[in-house]
Amino acid sequence: MNRECGEGIVLTEGLHFTYSGSQTPALVDVSIAIDEGEFVLLAGPSGSGKSTLARCLNGLVPHFHGGKFGGRVVVCGLDTREATVAELARHVGFVFQDPENQLVSMEVEREIAFGLENIGLPKDVIGKRIEEALDTVGILHLRKKHPKELSGGEKQRVAIASVLALHPNVLVLDEPTSELDPQGAEDVLKVVERLNDELGITVILIEHRLDRVMHLVDRVIVMNRGRIIADGEPREVMRDERLRETGTEIPPVVDLTLKVMEHYEPDVLRDGFKIPLTVKEGRKILRPLFRRVNGVGWKPKTHHQTGKIVISIENVWFGYEYDQPILKGVSLNVRKGEFVALLGRNASGKTTLLKHLIGLNIPSKGRVVVCGLDTREATVAELARHVGFVFQNPNDHLIADTVFEEVAFPLKSMGYDNIEERVKEVLKLLKLERYRDCYPRSLSGGEKQRVAIASVLAFKPEILILDEPTRGLDFSLKEYIMKILDGYRKNGRTVIYSTHDVETAARHGDRAVIMSEGKIVIDDEKHKGLANALLFSPQINRMIQSFRRYGVPEEILTVEEALEVIDIGLRRGGR
Amino acid sequence: MVYKEANTPIHRMNAMPKIIWAITILILSLIFDNPVVLILLFVATIPPAVFGKIIKEWSFFVKFGLFFIPVIVLLNIAFNHNGEHILYSLGYDLPFFGSPVITLEALFYGIMMGVRLLVILSAFAIITVSVHPDDILMLMLKMKVPYKSVLIVSLSSRFIPTLLSDVETITDVQRTRGLELDRGSIIKRIKNRFPVLVPLLANSLERSVEIAEAMEARAFGENKKRTFYKELKLSNADKLVSVFIFSTLLVGIIARFLGYGIYEYYPVLSPIELESIILGVLLFSMLVIPYVSVWITYNSSEPLAHGGHQ
Repeated sequence: MNRECGEGIVLTEGLHFTYSGSQTPALVDVSIAIDEGEFVLLAGPSGSGKSTLARCLNGLVPHFHGGKFGGRVVVCGLDTREATVAELARHVGFVFQDPENQLVSMEVEREIAFGLENIGLPKDVIGKRIEEALDTVGILHLRKKHPKELSGGEKQRVAIASVLALHPNVLVLDEPTSELDPQGAEDVLKVVERLNDELGITVILIEHRLDRVMHLVDRVIVMNRGRIIADGEPREVMRDERLRETGTEIPPVVDLTLKVMEHYEPDVLRDGFKIPLTVKEGRKILRPLFRRVNGVGWKPKTHHQTGKIVISIENVWFGYEYDQPILKGVSLNVRKGEFVALLGRNASGKTTLLKHLIGLNIPSKGRVVVCGLDTREATVAELARHVGFVFQNPNDHLIADTVFEEVAFPLKSMGYDNIEERVKEVLKLLKLERYRDCYPRSLSGGEKQRVAIASVLAFKPEILILDEPTRGLDFSLKEYIMKILDGYRKNGRTVIYSTHDVETAARHGDRAVIMSEGKIVIDDEKHKGLANALLFSPQINRMIQSFRRYGVPEEILTVEEALEVIDIGLRRGGR
Repeated sequence: MVYKEANTPIHRMNAMPKIIWAITILILSLIFDNPVVLILLFVATIPPAVFGKIIKEWSFFVKFGLFFIPVIVLLNIAFNHNGEHILYSLGYDLPFFGSPVITLEALFYGIMMGVRLLVILSAFAIITVSVHPDDILMLMLKMKVPYKSVLIVSLSSRFIPTLLSDVETITDVQRTRGLELDRGSIIKRIKNRFPVLVPLLANSLERSVEIAEAMEARAFGENKKRTFYKELKLSNADKLVSVFIFSTLLVGIIARFLGYGIYEYYPVLSPIELESIILGVLLFSMLVIPYVSVWITYNSSEPLAHGGHQ
């Protein structure tokens, strides 16, 4: 490590930045000082300036992304306006969001060597550093692999190793887990935690899912609209009302505790309590409260759809290669009006199964009937009149010059009339009216996602399928999109979506289907399906599991449900 | 059908002689149209495929070539009416084609051109499957090609799989939006591809910006002289083998200038001469000897565990 940097390893003073071609500033008067060895979480909604701030720390702003720059950034004693990005790269390691686009070599070893070659280290030193980096990140077994043989989580760990080899003092990670499944995310975060704990590297991490990292970090900085609005220890910041106002997802256990504190006398909680950051702490702090809530007759609200079956999947087997089946005998019936979450790890077969519903995949064995059409006989275009499909990456949808044309495109190619009216209606529904004449690709991620959904909703398909519609979105956008979907199915239509996000599945929809290795392992009403599972239970449910012996209903999935139960319990039990 | 790491004498052999070998075969197959030479050149590409245990991947390329032979033969007999042995004659005139006749000579010539295609595909199949792409890049660097050009080649091959999966996904997306790719006239079909092309180009542009960002964040563009962790090492044996293979090319070129191995297809197939058989066998053995010798050395020594390059 370069030892010349002491305390105040990262300093920004009155930092302002406006991207060229933009009217609104991305950063407004940002002043922070980060000490060596700190683990800092940068939180806030999408578009709040987190990524821009991160890019200021290694000089990509203003050297790579031009614009109006004001104030000062000093990292390890270097003023970023004077130092080049290449110089700063020796002090600041940067890991990007997209695992694919930051690996430039055809072999992991060469990937790690890339930065070291750039700074002109001799061969034997490079060899030593490669070993060291591979070992530290725990990927020695991947050394000869091509990036296409790696999973998302592995790619991110390779990216970490490749910047670690440069011996940085500071590691900046811009949403490194947002494209990974829960297991991949955990693997990456474990490595980051270890680098901070054992090597003392300063870490600045951007992450939407606070529940994953809250207990690891020393400090949380919250941004909104380019400004810093809160900065402090995690427990302190969690109690800050301004955090909630930004629409950030508060970890459910924290949320529950805060709401209990708000509604009841503090004596219902354990003496000398603090805000719990993990399930373990939550159990400790909330135990006295739940002990009093014994045996309430609470039942979760469930919807049982009795409409006709619109999707019928019968014993489907499928594989791209003969001897490697991806789906191994999947059977599933979905009724009209249902709202189904399809959960499972990466490569468990979720997307492969969804593609069967519109004929992009044809079963090798078994059959799929959608709205009375057998997918082996109907064409994709015929099925597309009944089934709308929103893919993972909205960029793959966008082809037109304006949002209006984008939404009108499928209507035209399917030969609908009164296009103008239909587009207007759907733009209104998704609050996109003011972007009507904008170039879709210039919009933010969340807006693009809405345009993609709008272009599918425009022809009002009977069945709506979404492949990970909430991936990479911040909390308020996630909630907004899920509410739109819920409204859509209430019109007698069917919605199926895949997700990694158990919390979202717990809050919305009414049925949970969990896949593992090409098979459906759980298919039930969500309260039955998601309760008492280890990996696929939401946080509140994992905490409640230890309160079962007090008679607390085991089907509680969300904060709201937990509050209902507490309310009934306390009112009946008295104080 | 890409490179796969394996511990065989062929995989472990240095990239330089292998690439010179493939180029030699390419040139020889283009300067000779003698059937004996062409067939023997094809046979010469089989031993490395066998020793390298890559028959499965190799045959994928060869099958691809076999698929094209009938096309080449058909085109040749349709447009080439030279030759005296008429196998079939239509007997009346057609617009554009005149009075079509199929001759034995044109048929045979078509088949031999198919064999020539097979020779080239087969030689390059062995390179594709047994040479690590990085080795090719390192060879380029060794030949003093500027680093930035090598990097561009390297980045393009790195992102080909990504691009292909992009094409697949975007095609799927646009099909679910009611796009029918294979419908209508040819012009309509080409127009139908636009909804796939537009997002593909836009995605690639956005990707290239992200790649550039990631590279700069790892000190790319630093003025200092760049070092290279891995370089293609050439032992004296490698150089000797390279020179030997290169001399095969010289032998071939000289023989061609002296008029050996020339073959006439028209107006009647000329007889196969002894000289051309000798030439073919000579070239064949010179092309096979390096592989046979590494294979023998490999089997007589203790198999080592390390990989094929560096």
